[in-house]
Amino acid sequence: MKRILSGVLASAMLLALCACGGGKTPAETAPGTDAPETPAEASTELNIYMWQQYISDELIADFESQNNCTVNLSYMSDNADAITKLTAGGGQEYDLIMTCDAYMESLIAGGYVEELDMSQVPNASNINSAYWSSPKHSIPYLGNYIYVVYNKETCPIEITCYNDLLDPSLKGQISTIDGARNLFPIALIALGYDPNSTVESEIAEAYEWLVKFNENVVAYGAAEQNLTNGTASVALTYDGNASWAMAEMGEENPLVVAPFTDDAVQLGFDMYVMPTGAKHTDLAYKFLDYICTPEVMAKNLEEFPYFCPNDAAVAAAPESYRNDPAKDFDYKENVFFQEDVGDALTIYNDYYQKLKVGQ
Amino acid sequence: MSTHINDTADLQAISRKRDVRRKTIPALAQAGPVSVWMILFVTLPMLFIIYISFMSRGVFGDVVYEFSTESYQTLLDATYFKVILKSLQVALFTTVLCLLLGYPFAYYIARKPPETASRLIMLIMIPFWTNSLMRLNSWLLLFQTSGPVNNFLQWAGIVDAPITFVYTDGLVVLGMITNMLPFAVLPLYSSIEKLQKSLLEASSDLGATPRETFFRVTLPLTFPGIFSAVILVFIPSLGIYTVSDMLGGGKVLYIGNIIKNQFGAIRNWPLGAALSVLLLVITGALIFLYTRFAKLEDMEVV
Repeated sequence: MKRILSGVLASAMLLALCACGGGKTPAETAPGTDAPETPAEASTELNIYMWQQYISDELIADFESQNNCTVNLSYMSDNADAITKLTAGGGQEYDLIMTCDAYMESLIAGGYVEELDMSQVPNASNINSAYWSSPKHSIPYLGNYIYVVYNKETCPIEITCYNDLLDPSLKGQISTIDGARNLFPIALIALGYDPNSTVESEIAEAYEWLVKFNENVVAYGAAEQNLTNGTASVALTYDGNASWAMAEMGEENPLVVAPFTDDAVQLGFDMYVMPTGAKHTDLAYKFLDYICTPEVMAKNLEEFPYFCPNDAAVAAAPESYRNDPAKDFDYKENVFFQEDVGDALTIYNDYYQKLKVGQ
Repeated sequence: MSTHINDTADLQAISRKRDVRRKTIPALAQAGPVSVWMILFVTLPMLFIIYISFMSRGVFGDVVYEFSTESYQTLLDATYFKVILKSLQVALFTTVLCLLLGYPFAYYIARKPPETASRLIMLIMIPFWTNSLMRLNSWLLLFQTSGPVNNFLQWAGIVDAPITFVYTDGLVVLGMITNMLPFAVLPLYSSIEKLQKSLLEASSDLGATPRETFFRVTLPLTFPGIFSAVILVFIPSLGIYTVSDMLGGGKVLYIGNIIKNQFGAIRNWPLGAALSVLLLVITGALIFLYTRFAKLEDMEVV
């Protein structure tokens, strides 16, 4: 009996071990490629650290066969992961790292990213400079609006501003994105303050607002799923996720983007940066130029319908992208960006924790 | 005379040497690999966590190697006290439920012939062949508003409108129990299986009712198994964060979530480390309590 039991246990443990070992990505460097100054010897490997579910597999496969190389994608689960990789060492294991605009200033100041040689990325000229906050050090990839979507059949009210989200009739109806720096700006705008405020009293007021908001929240995260299966009738989410949810609802899609009147919505960009000491720079430049090519990006947009700063790619994108109901709102210009708030981040985090702990 | 003394001293030295060879080397051979394993995978990481907890946090959320007790001062904040209290409550609740469900089940298995028993134990282990996140996700899919459970209830006419199961405390408890039940059943089973039938017969021969036999014979004799089950369920449930994250909709934070956030999104490693140390202290206190209650050798895991 004991023997059977221990056998069962041992096999369970083995399986668990296998499961743990599966996710590793080899970041070893092929011999002879660690000298980026000698492009005569082309790299055969490109290591990228970015968000999961954010780039077309086909696009990667095409790049691999065109350049006769292997692309290793590793995924982050939070923007902070990328910052940790860049600042806590280990950044040079990657050739390109995805980060967002809010951190660029401190990353450049800290010397954690290389200045890019734009002559090697000719297609970058397609990118609208209005959306390009650090043109010397980054290549913007895709952007996300964080806005409100609701189901016009099940949502009891029309939502035209953030304060509508506090309506008692929405109790347990809202599926929202998570994160201190995503939630607090919304409350700050609703209260008429600067979304990147560093004033503690304003953040404290925003916390009170969010406590009321929290009462209406059914879940943090998984907005797409909660909208389509009917768990939530309102979502505060990214435009890409809204687009997927709307497509999933089919012909008679009841989901609409909330017709906001005055409140600004958050627009964030994910950009590629080259960590200081990156090893396969030749391939990295080729990759950056490749994703800036209008046709390539247009194809990618079909699968990942996020906001794209590449004007030529948008023009080349299929009908489904340009007529996307998730892009059907008229306040695209009324946006705010997440800025580096410096030490005030601790204040945000403290209040965020308090919000989640509940009273 | 003096040579004689020298002789005995020599003899003693030789026998001491022999003793060393006879006792120490086998002891080292036996304990050595385990010790190396423990030092490498348990002691060193733990010491590093304790070390980090006394460091300070840099501007980018990196660890700055400067001594500071700031993290421990932060822990004194009422917020953390509440979180710990809440986590203890949930862990306690899960443990009690696992015992209440696990004990009858273990008892039932232990009374079956060995072949049937091993198959039943197998049944408990099978769900563990898939990843726990997978299992949690399937609970979510089963119970979602337009999921199979709600569809069935509506089809059978039991309810008119779909019931909200997802993101409720009930589903979190269900997730916790399905995750933790095997850790309760296995030690309980091994303890109950060892129980000699003759003792139970003696008890009834002496006039005890089945009820009395259970409370005065069976329960005390299986106490080591119960305590192992308590420890094996309580400690992991204290630190687990995936269940409340996925099934609870991330609305409530437990200590596990907070530690995860400190190492992830919030990037305050020293505070995360200090919280981990706190968790270690709580766990240590529990084990200490256990050694007061019963001998450590009694702790049975299978």
